[in-house]
Amino acid sequence: MRYQQVVDEAELLTALSDPAAAILSGGTDLLVKIRGGVAAPETLLDIGRIPTLSGIRESNGSIEIGAATTETEILASSIVQETLPVLTTALAGLGSIQIRNRGTLGGNLANASPAADSAIPLLLYDAELDLVGPNGPRTVPLDGFFLGPGKTALEPGDYIRTIRVPIPEPGWCPFYHKVGKRRALTIAIASVGALIRIEGDRIVGVRFAAGSVAPTPIRLHAVEERIRSNALTEEVVDEARRLAMESVSPIDDVRATADYRRCVVGDLVARALRLAP
Amino acid sequence: MKVRLTVNGRPLEGEADAETRLLDFLREDLQLTGTKEGCGEGECGACTVLIDGQPVNSCLVLALQADGSDVLTIEGIADGDTLHPIQQAFVETGGVQCGFCTPGFIMAAYALLKATPNPTDEEIRSALEGNLCRCTGYERIVDAIRLAAGRMQGDA
Ligand SMILES: Cc1cc2nc3c(=O)[nH]c(=O)nc-3n(C[C@H](O)[C@H](O)[C@H](O)COP(=O)(O)OP(=O)(O)OC[C@H]3O[C@@H](n4cnc5c(N)ncnc54)[C@H](O)[C@@H]3O)c2cc1C
Ligand code: FES
Ligand code: FES
Repeated sequence: MRYQQVVDEAELLTALSDPAAAILSGGTDLLVKIRGGVAAPETLLDIGRIPTLSGIRESNGSIEIGAATTETEILASSIVQETLPVLTTALAGLGSIQIRNRGTLGGNLANASPAADSAIPLLLYDAELDLVGPNGPRTVPLDGFFLGPGKTALEPGDYIRTIRVPIPEPGWCPFYHKVGKRRALTIAIASVGALIRIEGDRIVGVRFAAGSVAPTPIRLHAVEERIRSNALTEEVVDEARRLAMESVSPIDDVRATADYRRCVVGDLVARALRLAP
Repeated sequence: MKVRLTVNGRPLEGEADAETRLLDFLREDLQLTGTKEGCGEGECGACTVLIDGQPVNSCLVLALQADGSDVLTIEGIADGDTLHPIQQAFVETGGVQCGFCTPGFIMAAYALLKATPNPTDEEIRSALEGNLCRCTGYERIVDAIRLAAGRMQGDA
């Protein structure tokens, strides 16, 4: 295995034309996979020193987060805390301090675990990814980026440059809950995030996303469409719970059974609605 | 490839390849065996060192990734033969039993007390979320850090 400390994005693009090269960001996923024999790249392209890939800024009504920005840096950002509270809450529960000091947002998304903790808030906030590849730059919505466990819309030679999140207008009620065996260092059994807007007794806006209950992190569009513009009644809460349980396709694994995960998602959707007003 | 680091205040240069973890470099090349390997995959925190003041798992960082940075290990915090107040407090409260996890806990605690000199118990517990101990039941570790925090404030 070879190691290359990449200086800038031009060098990265050229180096990525080698199909046996892999991007090394924080390394908290990739180095574990290499030691476990699950990944065997010939060249590691360390992007940790490329200045244009890290940092957080506000631009044209969006928060732009460089792909190689660490989870700790994002947690420390006051603009993220103020405008994207679900992102802050979700990242605070990712791994441990040691992991968050190294792990990056781009790494969490590119790794494409069904349990990726940053994906829930970013799906809720309608994030977009700026990708760069051999055919130039392009922007893709995060909803649609995940294709399956470990599979994404990244083509050979592509990298994630920036995660772009439109700043939501004020008035959304944030919700996030991750269910795991313990608080730290736990991969979610199931997690649900929500953004809900209530005016009077009416649900004027609603978004749900869930993790560890399908091959990828997902938005629960069917639930959203069914209850949007309805009055927030017990019947609507029950309907949302039922639809949420139907919209997911969890599996049995060492952490929990599929049935349990389905119940957790239903309960969390109901809880988010009850807490909203 | 060449790697340049400042380790415990001392600038040095060594050789590392793409397989060499910072943990290996510290233990094998520098003979700084205070830093321990437990799980080797980020779960236990026994290998915790500080890079530029931040606690990281040295089993999940390549030596080459750390090139140019400032590394602090358990060997770098005592003042000659006088233990650091955190080390001394671990000894006194029984926060050390088999001792395997101890360097990692102390480095995590060191980073906590630099940033938050007077932490609540809740803050102490969450600063230790990345460290596992199979012996002490954690209470004595929390006691040690509370004791050290008090003494270190007294000194300031
Ligand atoms: C002990 C432990 C606990 C963990 N706990 C959690 C948890 O609770 N929740 C959670 O979601 N995750 C968890 N993780 C997983 C991991 O820490 C996160 O996914 C982290 O955000 C990965 O980021 P990284 O920078 O370390 O990725 P890396 O390991 O550097 O990269 C991961 C993958 O993404 C690719 N990649 C990285 N950056 C880019 C880019 N800019 N463009 C294209 N591809 C790229 C790499 O080639 C690699 O395939 C845990 C890991 C460990 C070891
Ligand atoms: S040895 Fe590094 S975290 Fe366990
Ligand atoms: S003292 Fe033995 S593992 Fe902590």
